[in-house]
Amino acid sequence: MNRKWMAWIVVPALLTFMYGCPKKKPKTPPPDLNVETTTVPAPPATPPPATEVTPPATPPVADKKEDPLLSSDLQVVNDELRRRGFSPDVYFDYDESTLTDDTRQKLSRNADLLKSQPQFSVTIEGHADSRGTSEYNLALGERRANAARDYLSSLGVAATRMRTISYGKERPVCTEEAESCWSQNRRAHMIITGRANVG
Amino acid sequence: MRPRSTALPILLFVLFPLALVLAGAQQPTPAPTPAATPSQQPGQVTLVLPGNGQQRKIKIAFPAFRGQLGGDGTAAARELEETVRRDLDTSGYFEIQGPDVLSGLHLTGDVQKDLAAYKSTGNEVILLGEVKNEQDRLVFDGRVLDAASGQAALAKRYRGPYSVSRRMAHTFADEVVRTLIGRPGIALSAIAFTSDRSGAKEVWVMDYDGANPRKITGHHSTSMSPAWSPDGASIAYTSFFSGPPGLYLADLASGRKRPVVTSGSFNTSPSFSPDGKRIAFARSLEGNVEIFTADLEGGNLRRLTNSPAIDTNPAWSPKGGNIAFTSSRAGNPHIYLMDAEGANQRRISFDGTYNDGAAWSPEGDLIAYTSRRDGQFQIAITNLATLETQVLTSGPGENESPTFSPDGRKIAFTSRRNGRKQIWIMALDGSNQRPLTSEGNNDMADWSRGAPPQ
Repeated sequence: MNRKWMAWIVVPALLTFMYGCPKKKPKTPPPDLNVETTTVPAPPATPPPATEVTPPATPPVADKKEDPLLSSDLQVVNDELRRRGFSPDVYFDYDESTLTDDTRQKLSRNADLLKSQPQFSVTIEGHADSRGTSEYNLALGERRANAARDYLSSLGVAATRMRTISYGKERPVCTEEAESCWSQNRRAHMIITGRANVG
Repeated sequence: MRPRSTALPILLFVLFPLALVLAGAQQPTPAPTPAATPSQQPGQVTLVLPGNGQQRKIKIAFPAFRGQLGGDGTAAARELEETVRRDLDTSGYFEIQGPDVLSGLHLTGDVQKDLAAYKSTGNEVILLGEVKNEQDRLVFDGRVLDAASGQAALAKRYRGPYSVSRRMAHTFADEVVRTLIGRPGIALSAIAFTSDRSGAKEVWVMDYDGANPRKITGHHSTSMSPAWSPDGASIAYTSFFSGPPGLYLADLASGRKRPVVTSGSFNTSPSFSPDGKRIAFARSLEGNVEIFTADLEGGNLRRLTNSPAIDTNPAWSPKGGNIAFTSSRAGNPHIYLMDAEGANQRRISFDGTYNDGAAWSPEGDLIAYTSRRDGQFQIAITNLATLETQVLTSGPGENESPTFSPDGRKIAFTSRRNGRKQIWIMALDGSNQRPLTSEGNNDMADWSRGAPPQ
């Protein structure tokens, strides 16, 4: 139900994006700009998610001094990678550590970014929702972290750059007892935690 | 494996005794000294007692204690009396007639003359207490009389500072249970648990009735899975304070903490062998968690399970021959049993899709665990002889992490039914559920196997 509804928004939005954008790119406005009836309606509320994956893996660096990836503050590095399309979190189903297609896509994008920035080492935290014992969830969290690590590794990210730790249900991002919250806690969280000392 | 600095843990171990010394200072130090009272020698009175299986309660008259104490003594005496009454009530063995009921009996105050009046409302036993002050110390005489003969079944005198009135009460209450029931009481037992009331999740210990909570760890990290040693002198636990969760041992008398096993990606859910010489725990190496045992120095590591599934939460049986644990090898977590050497692994929980966190009854005949039923977590117990299973809790609120009282008649567990996670207790049939904690979030109760040394 939800998905069908989404299609009505996303498909026109994609069409706008794919066909509308390039046409609009020329600085001179297209001749039919005034013909209101032919413009594809804009999506009502949120912009289509498709636009989020469009920035290139490594935008050209204009001035090296300004590159946030050179910052010694890893928070700045993490923010910048995120801006370039790095997904800090991938999510899992209840009592599961298998990767969904969506998760694989996100990890694939992360792998590209990590490979293009080999100077960074990444910590992958495994987390679980609040249901079940702490000890079982610790094991589950570890499986989630390892599943993410193994997939990144299969895509060419050196295993030596990645370390995993499970927090089980001990470090929730959301503490309400509802699925909307539980689903946010069932995650592998990836953060840059170090920089190799190579020049 | 990465080399790990040992400096931080060592520093922490040096610092933590301080916290314990401070915590210990609040505890009463001099033990109340039980002494046979000269006034009335307890005769060899035999009472008719209900058998273990019977539910009939002994009717006990509990008039107000006699004696007046001024100043601080008043509060101490009141606490003493209330604690004895609550202990006997909590034990579940007695039906108590307090001063409110007894006031209708027109008692003369001379117990021998009042026997008939006591018996008229069905009392089988009369408990009399008298408090007085001797050189700023509380003196408590407790007596238990057979209502039929008027003879003393128990007479004890305790003396100590006012600050130990609760422990005097617990000590006497356990004597009453031992005398009238013939089994050890639980009023001097303690419960280890985790709490975030001071900020980070730390290991705490409280008296069995929720009183006197004291913080055991101060790692300012996440510390969890406390497990009492059989002698009650130490607590094994898991902490994240130096990175990947490691297994540590806290000595309660000295406050010292030391690592047991800290290598690998995590070590958690310790459980002592009944002889106190080994610990079973869940240990993950390279992403697969298995059940291991080790000695208290972390040596002689033995792996007991070998499955690609999650194997965790071991619980050593009270007689030592078996270890219960959780495994997801059948697709979902379930309770399994194995010999203490790892052989003969077999599944014992079959209901539902989530059974985890086994705890043994002291007799080794029952296993309590967390069971997901209709999407909600409940406490279930399975009789190992028949594999018959009973669910003791109901409704929402995530009831989990059960642990048996040392007499096997109660279960402490975690429930979120009132909003936050608290430690609750209930009788073995699921009745009389009530909370023991109220501050912060409290979880992972482990009941001591007897009375920990004071």
